[in-house]
Amino acid sequence: MSWPAVAKKDFRDAVQSRALWALVGVFVVVSTLMSYAYVELPDFFGGPTGPSVAGLIFFMAGSVSLFITLTAIVVCYKAIAGERELGSIKLLLALPHTRGEVLLGKVIGRAAVLAVAVAIGLGVGFGVGFALLGTIDVVSLVLFLIVTLLFTAVFAAIVVSLSATTGSTARATTLALGFFVVFELLWDFAPLAVVYVTNGFSLPQQMPDWVFLVSQLPPTSAYFSTLVAVLPDLASEAGAETGAGGIDAVYATPEIGIVVLAFWLVVPLAVGYYRFTSADL
Amino acid sequence: MAAIELTGLTKRFDDVVAVDDLDLTIEDGEIFGFLGPNGAGKSTTIDILLDFIRPTEGTATVVGHDAQAESLAVRQRIGVLPDAYHTYDRLTGRQHVEFVVESKATEAETDVDALLERVGILEAADRKSGGYSKGMRQRLVLAMALVGDPDLLILDEPSTGLDPNGAREMREIIQQENERGTTVFFSSHIMEQVEAICDRVAIINRGRLVAVDTVDGLRGSTEIGTTLHVSTAGVDEAALETVRGFDGVAGVSVDGERLRVTLSGGGPLKFEVLKALDGAGVSIEDFEIEESSLEDLFVRYTTDEQEVRA
Repeated sequence: MSWPAVAKKDFRDAVQSRALWALVGVFVVVSTLMSYAYVELPDFFGGPTGPSVAGLIFFMAGSVSLFITLTAIVVCYKAIAGERELGSIKLLLALPHTRGEVLLGKVIGRAAVLAVAVAIGLGVGFGVGFALLGTIDVVSLVLFLIVTLLFTAVFAAIVVSLSATTGSTARATTLALGFFVVFELLWDFAPLAVVYVTNGFSLPQQMPDWVFLVSQLPPTSAYFSTLVAVLPDLASEAGAETGAGGIDAVYATPEIGIVVLAFWLVVPLAVGYYRFTSADL
Repeated sequence: MAAIELTGLTKRFDDVVAVDDLDLTIEDGEIFGFLGPNGAGKSTTIDILLDFIRPTEGTATVVGHDAQAESLAVRQRIGVLPDAYHTYDRLTGRQHVEFVVESKATEAETDVDALLERVGILEAADRKSGGYSKGMRQRLVLAMALVGDPDLLILDEPSTGLDPNGAREMREIIQQENERGTTVFFSSHIMEQVEAICDRVAIINRGRLVAVDTVDGLRGSTEIGTTLHVSTAGVDEAALETVRGFDGVAGVSVDGERLRVTLSGGGPLKFEVLKALDGAGVSIEDFEIEESSLEDLFVRYTTDEQEVRA
């Protein structure tokens, strides 16, 4: 088991990325402004019951997931493809590491870098928010952090795995951005378009049940559902819903998010592992 | 036991045969030079030894383990200076060596400072390798290769980027390691250093092995061994006949008072020829011995081969 050496090396390397710290800087500013706006401008952002811890957490979740996906792409897209293109992989794999250990070490090292960035960004943003609110809910905050870090690790695994499928950073960039565009930007429209067309070019009153299942597939949707599943009281207080209500099916629960996150952890890694171990470097 | 054993090793990339049915054995304790022009298949062969790429046919055994099936055991016991590598720009020299120490989990304590001192970059140890010169990077990667006293060093074009002084230091380190019992396998397209330190050499061209021998053996096996140039006060036909009569004299030509004798081998023959000339009454004013360098042999082997194929 030599992946810790790879993870440590990779952490030391990737944590020095300037693009990463630029993104962290932007996120700190944005999360601080959002916290401030949420607490101080309740008429616009606070919801019917006024500012609350629950409201703040779910108000922030959307921008947190956007920050994590973008940062993960910046930090991870070159993780393996970049080493192959430059040739540093020759130093790495001349050492007694299996390619599986390299992949694992890379995912953990990069996820740890992202975790530091997320912790700093959230720490400042929520710090300001809770200071302005004057209350804090430690248990909920810790649960939120755990789910968020899990999501961070999943997204790191996705992007590193995409990077493991190729020896070209250009292709790795295309794959990572393509993933983002398809699953984070276009995904919600695709089922709507299908329903719109099959329903005779109009939207029905009630969406078919499968639309919910399809809409749960993007990692950020799964993250949101998982938050609802883990923090049900806060979710209902904040009026956060997954869209599962009114659907009578086993999968129509927020817990589907946990399953989807597990899917995104396992499947890309399996594909990346297969492609990387069978490649001629 | 053989340090490296290649049996029928072949690697095809699409329609290009990079390595073609290579059989080669490198014994324990040798310094073995692997020569060939750029693109001859040297790096492909080394990449197979390290399991960077997989052979199409044949097998490679390194330090007693199959290079593909037991690559981890191989890489635990060898040190590598690859070709066309890149260091981690944002990590310091020291961090690079520490990474190797951690990766190999060597049982004996590794003195990182001593290693960096030995390759001559201790004073730059805590600077990021992105700011290193090509030569410093080469020294750093050599230090990485030396971690854990490997049984076998595989060095791909080790003097790349080094100035003459650096190349000499590299040779000294290779020889010191060899004296401690380490087998050294290195590739090069520069003949000079190979000639200076190798026990045996193999010449590869277009993926095929064209010669494997000691440096002297290679010289002896071709007719352009040594050329003797003799300036005389005048030669007669009888003296020339005497010289032509030697076993091992491939040719004699006269240009006025200068005599040119081609010998197919090295050794004492050239002195016997000189003695015979003297004995035949030829007054020798000056002489010059031109030993064919490995460079000549190399050019000969690789260009002949190309002509045959073309």
